[in-house]
Amino acid sequence: MKRLSDLEYLKLNKFQAFIYNFKLFLCAIPLFFKNIGLAIVSFFKNAVLGIGGEFAEIGRTFKNGNWAVKLSFLIFGFGNLYYGQILRGILFLLFEIVFIGYMVVPSGGIYWLSKGNWFKTGSTIGTVQGKFEYDMIYDTDVWVPGDDSVKVLLYGLLTIIFIVAFVYTWRLQVKQCTICMDITAKGKKVRSGKDDMKSLLDDQFHKTLLALPLAGILAFTVLPIIYMVLIAFTSYDAAHDGYSNLFSWVGLEHFNELFDFSAGGLGATFGEILSWTLMWAFFATFTNYFLGMFVAIMINKKGIKIKKFWRTVLVMTIAIPQFVSLLYVSKLFTTSGLIGRALDQIPFIYEWRTANSFVSLWDSPVVSKILLIVINIWIGIPYIMLMATGILMNIPQDLYESSKIDGASSVQQFTKITLPYMLFVTGPYLLTSFVGNLNNFNVIYLLSGGNPIKGTAGGASVGYTDLLITWLFKMTLGSTESKYYMASLIGIMVFLVVAVLSLIIYNIIPSTKNEEDYK
Amino acid sequence: MASVKLTNVKKIYGKDTVAVQDFNLDIADKEFIVFVGPSGCGKSTTLRMIAGLEDISAGTVEIDGVVVNDLQPRDRNIAMVFQNYALYPHLSVFENMAFSLRLKNVPNDIVYQKVTEAAEILGITEYLTRKPRALSGGQRQRVAIGRAMVRDSKVFLMDEPLSNLDAKLRNQMRAEIILLRQKIDTTFIYVTHDQTEAMTLGDHIVIMKDGFIQQVGTPTEVFDMPLNLFVAEFIGAPKMNTFKTQLVCEGGKYYVTPYGTKIEVTGKKAEQLAANGVKSGEIILGVRPEHFVLAHEGEEGAIPCKIVVNEMMGSELHLHVVEDNGDKLIVRIPTVKLDDETRNSLVYGKTIYVTFESKVMHFFDTETERNLLV
Amino acid sequence: MKKQNDNQIRKTGLGARASRRLSNTIVYIILIAITIIWLFPFVGIVLESFKTETKMQTPYLFPKEFGFDHYVRLFKETDFLKWFINTGIMGVATALLQTIFILSMSYVLSRLRFKGRKGLMNFMLILGMFPGFLTMILIYKVFSDFGLTEGMAPLGLIIVYFASSGMGYYVSKGFFDTIPKSLDEAARVDGATRFQVFYKVIMPLSKPIVIYTILMGFMAPWGDFMMASYLIHENSAGMNVAVGMYEWLSRTNLNTYYTMFCAAGVIVAIPVVTVFLLLQKYYVEGVTGGAVKG
Repeated sequence: MKRLSDLEYLKLNKFQAFIYNFKLFLCAIPLFFKNIGLAIVSFFKNAVLGIGGEFAEIGRTFKNGNWAVKLSFLIFGFGNLYYGQILRGILFLLFEIVFIGYMVVPSGGIYWLSKGNWFKTGSTIGTVQGKFEYDMIYDTDVWVPGDDSVKVLLYGLLTIIFIVAFVYTWRLQVKQCTICMDITAKGKKVRSGKDDMKSLLDDQFHKTLLALPLAGILAFTVLPIIYMVLIAFTSYDAAHDGYSNLFSWVGLEHFNELFDFSAGGLGATFGEILSWTLMWAFFATFTNYFLGMFVAIMINKKGIKIKKFWRTVLVMTIAIPQFVSLLYVSKLFTTSGLIGRALDQIPFIYEWRTANSFVSLWDSPVVSKILLIVINIWIGIPYIMLMATGILMNIPQDLYESSKIDGASSVQQFTKITLPYMLFVTGPYLLTSFVGNLNNFNVIYLLSGGNPIKGTAGGASVGYTDLLITWLFKMTLGSTESKYYMASLIGIMVFLVVAVLSLIIYNIIPSTKNEEDYK
Repeated sequence: MASVKLTNVKKIYGKDTVAVQDFNLDIADKEFIVFVGPSGCGKSTTLRMIAGLEDISAGTVEIDGVVVNDLQPRDRNIAMVFQNYALYPHLSVFENMAFSLRLKNVPNDIVYQKVTEAAEILGITEYLTRKPRALSGGQRQRVAIGRAMVRDSKVFLMDEPLSNLDAKLRNQMRAEIILLRQKIDTTFIYVTHDQTEAMTLGDHIVIMKDGFIQQVGTPTEVFDMPLNLFVAEFIGAPKMNTFKTQLVCEGGKYYVTPYGTKIEVTGKKAEQLAANGVKSGEIILGVRPEHFVLAHEGEEGAIPCKIVVNEMMGSELHLHVVEDNGDKLIVRIPTVKLDDETRNSLVYGKTIYVTFESKVMHFFDTETERNLLV
Repeated sequence: MKKQNDNQIRKTGLGARASRRLSNTIVYIILIAITIIWLFPFVGIVLESFKTETKMQTPYLFPKEFGFDHYVRLFKETDFLKWFINTGIMGVATALLQTIFILSMSYVLSRLRFKGRKGLMNFMLILGMFPGFLTMILIYKVFSDFGLTEGMAPLGLIIVYFASSGMGYYVSKGFFDTIPKSLDEAARVDGATRFQVFYKVIMPLSKPIVIYTILMGFMAPWGDFMMASYLIHENSAGMNVAVGMYEWLSRTNLNTYYTMFCAAGVIVAIPVVTVFLLLQKYYVEGVTGGAVKG
């Protein structure tokens, strides 16, 4: 489509400009996906090229290196030791010894890897099934433990990570060795162990600071997430808990199950929950956003007194732990609760309730959804109010004064100055808040618990107000019918939804593009 | 006290954004050198590379004969004054100035002595216990300089130290820096975008543009003999008037023909043109505003032009005039040279006649923009 | 001049002062309504906790008989004290450890430049898109082998809360980003190592964000239900207040424990609200700063 020059664009009236922008937007969509595709392709291309380059580099290193370099291909840290970097050399060597030791000892790395039957659809994870066997001493059947699939998978994964780390370290120390060789060839001194220690507080300070937090993230987020993604391809559930019953690789079977839209399949339920989740996130985010901003503007209005009091009243909701206030409020709306009973006094509501034989307001799908959104306003406004207050104070006062002189009414001031500024500044916040609401476990679970109940799906009871995240939670709870693989699959779905939304929104909001506009 | 030597220094950001290109410079011991140029010319980047705050992409920086490329800033023994002062908000003025000494665990009595000495020189003794936020801009600037002074460092770096001050304070501080320089005898490298600062402060000036050095020279050299059109227009305010004109070489004599007039080039300039073998053709002629003189109609070499703006500066007049073909020129006339009647007649729309002498002309090649006299 | 303009300057609608008074009145009415709505549940929970006449939900707000019966029963008949202490310990421990992690991470990402910085940030961004709860399935399995679940769940939970907390660096990074970089540079030229820059220059300037981070860390265990309930698995000895009190409001327990829940709620709210209101200023700085720069 033809692009207009800036001056031509200015000639358009509002309607034409809208059409023009809309067309531009439509035209941009294929491009957007094309760019994503290209990005992915180039990522893999770079990865392949990078690996190829790396191999070439390694070959060259071996060819050009002296005997110390060549030997360090086999013995970790040999080069470092040769060139006098004792500390590094010993650490590298130690790493190699530990690695080899771990791999070869009985029930070490090789043992765990061999038990995994990695990705062989239909094969169990772990090879020996535990069973009851007659024991002569006790004269009864006793449990003879076999493999535990959970452990086989976990240790297998750890071993793979260890191998990757090993290869990386191998490459690292060879590289360092050649660097040492170059430095010595130039007649300079290589860094000593003491220099290394010192630099950890100076030019390598980031390594010191990052070590612990990153270790924590690796152990408690990265590893479990990789593990759980793998679980989506297995049959891990309460019946196949890995210990009493090995679980096995099943390939894409569960994906088919989740997207099975025939009667009895999970597809319909998944679709309904997903659409309510999105709807909920949308309403929860935007009602809070606009009402919170509105309240902030009112409190900050010129001539309003005891601003601090109004603010503190709202802030109370943030201070009180959510489970107290949410649980209490949810009970207020039951038939025996204060508000529920008061509402029952209204004949029309009472009749409607008894006609549908609802025990409480929470038994109606529609009403509970509305209640959730309304109560969430009560919970959420204070945050936005605080944030908006901060931002409102940042808007230069002279903008308002000059617009007043130009003849703007207070409504116009809001739509032409306050709102654009707010939207610009809080664009990224809106995105995070939307994502936060997608996964807003507390509000849903503590208020409605996902109820009213619709049926069971994926090994858990499902209600009309369940979000993906509460559904996931319920799947892991039941002691006999937990379907961990399904929970993992839902987790992956949540990730996909969030990722796609973030990508789209990130490309739409202006804050990411014109960072300097309002500075 | 040390010399600084930069050899083929280069700064490349990312893959191919070049900030500084092949920078070669020898700075002698105790010299005051000024890097000047428009924003984005790479002058600050060069300074920060000397300080060790930016990596050096290629080339070497030597301080006192030692290559410092791989040294941390703290190992280079330099002091630096930042544009926005960079005072530590949580420390008093005294502790701000003492910060570097404290890091070196200098005994307290020596710290006290050094800081008070510097404070004395800068006239900030009475503020020593205050926090930076309680100081005015000028005072903060002094603290920042003081912090650098107590270091006894080899090189004193200043990154646009005056650009956050208002005009009056800037003039005052400029004078003070000149005084300061006489008191602390060390090598100064000073970065600014203001040509006045460069001219008044520097022993030598390095004029930069787009990462390239345009000219290195004393203030007089760069003013009198700018190597190219850029330097000519950058140094001097208001900036030099430049216009395309024909250079005519007839019978061993050179003439320029601006706006239908014909002015002979005489003296040294003509000799130099002849020596450089310059031929007839189109050139860019440069004349500084203050070198125009008023002339009468019909006088030889008088160029007629119309006044569009008359800026009365007090001691001088800046006349913005338009030549018949639309060229805009600025003419600067000292008010003492005008009688009242003439002065009052210089109003919008009036046609005046200006001319200039041969010795104030600058000649530049139309394509390379290089000075034809060099 | 004066005469000619007369017919152009006209009053539109009410006078400036009258219209301001009208709009202020409307705003006051709305604000008072908001105050009532917002305070109603809090006033309600306090009042109901003093009811001594019944343990059940009642359709009236004000107690017929005031008394501390439920508070007494709370400590005598239930494990509430244990839960309360559990949560308190978790709050303090999480606050300390998490603050160290978050500040390290955000300082590094804000002030230091190193290879892989952008990649690390993107990686954490993507990682954050997975629901955090997903990790609990594996963590539960592993922790139960180490004995860190059920009765010992508070210890396990502390680890869960702080271990990955480095991923929540956004707000404090936003704060660090506002401290001028030239301060670091000046200090480095003055002879400071990066470490000295960190604790001699940046840390003294970061009081608001340090307090904000501590506050967030302290509050998290008080409100967490999901992770806690999964690790605790109905073992009363290891419960935090949220998991413990949740059961009280189930349909079967509601009529025995309702007023007790209110009393417990009041007790839980007191320390948290006190800490929060005392440090409100820093919280506000964090929320606004983080949103604007995040």
